Amino acid sequence: MNHTALETVGLTRSFGGLIAVNNIHLNVEAGSVFGFLGPNGAGKTTTIRMMLGLIKPDRGRVMLFGEDLSSHRISILGQVGALVETPSLYNHLTGFENLEVTRRLLGCSKENITNALGIVKLTDAAHRLVREYSLGMRQRLGLALALLNRPEILILDEPTNGLDPAGIREMRALIKQLPGQSGITVFLSSHLLSEVEQMASHVGIIHQGRMLFQGSLAELHAHQHERLVLGVDRPSVAAEVLTKQGWHVHQEENNRLAVDAHGQKDAASVNALLVREGLEVYYLSQQQPTLEETFFKMTDESVAGGKP
Amino acid sequence: MKQLFAALSSESLKLKRTLALWMVFIAPFIVILLQFFILFDRAKFFAGRDVWEVLMYGVTSIWAIFMLPLFITLETALLSGLEHSGQSWKHLFAQPIPRWSVYAAKLLTVMGMILVSTLVLVLGEIGAGKLLSVLRPELRFHESPNLTMMARMATMVYLASWILLAFHTWVSMRWKSFALAAGVGVAGTFFAVFASGARIGKFYPWLFPVNAVSTSPERMKLAILLGIIGGAIIAVAGCWNVVRRDVE
Repeated sequence: MNHTALETVGLTRSFGGLIAVNNIHLNVEAGSVFGFLGPNGAGKTTTIRMMLGLIKPDRGRVMLFGEDLSSHRISILGQVGALVETPSLYNHLTGFENLEVTRRLLGCSKENITNALGIVKLTDAAHRLVREYSLGMRQRLGLALALLNRPEILILDEPTNGLDPAGIREMRALIKQLPGQSGITVFLSSHLLSEVEQMASHVGIIHQGRMLFQGSLAELHAHQHERLVLGVDRPSVAAEVLTKQGWHVHQEENNRLAVDAHGQKDAASVNALLVREGLEVYYLSQQQPTLEETFFKMTDESVAGGKP
Repeated sequence: MKQLFAALSSESLKLKRTLALWMVFIAPFIVILLQFFILFDRAKFFAGRDVWEVLMYGVTSIWAIFMLPLFITLETALLSGLEHSGQSWKHLFAQPIPRWSVYAAKLLTVMGMILVSTLVLVLGEIGAGKLLSVLRPELRFHESPNLTMMARMATMVYLASWILLAFHTWVSMRWKSFALAAGVGVAGTFFAVFASGARIGKFYPWLFPVNAVSTSPERMKLAILLGIIGGAIIAVAGCWNVVRRDVE
C-alpha cells in the first residue's frame, strides 16, 4: 500500500525571469496534516496551483496517490478538495445554491451538500444569500465546497487569512478534526508558524521558492538549537573571552549575551571560564528557541546563502 | 458529453437572480416597445402599407444592427463577470471535469440565452401587432402575420451572430476587465454604422446580423455562412487559448 498521498518531484516554475518555485520535493503522508509554511511570496500558492493543475510547472511533476497529475488529471481531482486563497463564491446565490452549483458539476448526491453544511456548521444559514455572510461564514462555506466530493486529500491555501480571532479558532477546530473524523489528508499552507504548530503533524518550510525543511513537527523541534543566555558585568569582555575559546556568542539587548551551548556541562564550562577571567556572572539560563526563531533563523540563513 | 450537460446545468443555476437573465426579456422588449410607439404614433403615415412587414423589418433592423451586438457584449461580460468577481475560475478549473467543458458550457449558455431572446422578439412582434390592431385599427394589423417569414428572419439574424457570440465569450473569459469587454463591443457596433455602406461591410462581423436580412442574396448568404463558420473557428480557438492558460 502506498502511504504517500501527495508528492512533488523537482517542481519548478518561473514567472518572467523570477523563479517562484525551485526544485520542490514534497512528500505528504496519507492521514497527516501537513503544514506548508513560508512568508508571503515564498511560493506557497504557486506550488498549490501546480498541485491542482491550475498552472503548469516548467519542470517536475505532481503525483497524487501514486498517479501523475498531468496524465490523470480528472481521476485525481475527483479525490481532491481545495480552497485556494479566498473562497470562490457567487454572492447572489444562497450558501446551499453555491454548493449545488458545484454538486451539479461533480454529479454527486444531494446528501453531500447536507453533510458538508453540517461539518462546517452552516446548516441554519444555508438558505441565506452569501452576500449576507460574514467573512468567517464565507470561509467555512469555501471549506464546505472543498469537502463536497468527500475528498481523500484537502488542499487549503491560507485558510484563516483575513479572519478575526473567533473565525480563526473555528476554522482551526474544523480543520483539526478532519483527519480523525474522515481520514482526510490535509495539506495546509500558512505564513503563520503558530497556526501550523497548532494544526499540523508534519511541516514543510519554503522560502524564496526553495524548501528549507521538511519533516515531522518533532523533527523540527529537534532542529532547534539550545542556547545559554547570561548576564555579566562586562559583556564585551565576556564575549571576547568566549569567542577566543571557540564559542559562538551573540550580543543581545540589556547587556545580555547568548551562547550556542547545549546541556548543563556546557553551562558549567562557560561559567567557569568567565569566573576564571575575573568576570562577575549575574545569571545563566538555558533557553529553547521558539519555533518562530527557528523559522527566522532558517530563512535568514537561506537569504545569506547558507544551507539549512 | 455527460460532463458538458453537468456544466450546463451548473451554469443555468448561476443565472438565478442575475441581471443577465432579466436582460434576456428586457432587451427584445425595448426593441418591440420602440417599434410599437413608432407605429402607434405615426399610424396615418403607415396606414395602407403591409404593416406586419413594417413591424417585422423595423424590429429586425434595430435588433440586428444595434441591440443584438451590444446585448451579446453585455451578456457575455455579465456571465464571465460572475466568475471573475467571485474568483471562481480557479475553483471551476480545479474540478474533475474536462477544462473544455467549462468553456463550452459558458458559450452554449449565452447562445441559449440569445436564442430565447430571439424567440421573445418574435413573440413580442406578434403581441405588438395584435395590440396595435386594437389600438390602431386603421393599421390593418387584424390580418394574419407571415409567421414563417418572421421566424426565418429571426433565425438568420441569430445564426449570423454566432461569430460575435464566440468572439465576445472569448474576450470576456480571457480578460477580467468588464470595461475592456464592453469597450470592444461598443467600438465594434459603433464602427458598424460607418462600415454598413462600404463594400468591405459584408466582411465586418458586427454587420453580419443585419446583413443576414439584406435584400442582396450574396450579402445575406455570406453573412450567415461567415457567421456560423467564423463562430465555430473562434469558439474552438478561444477554447484552446483559455483552457491552456494559467488560471489566476
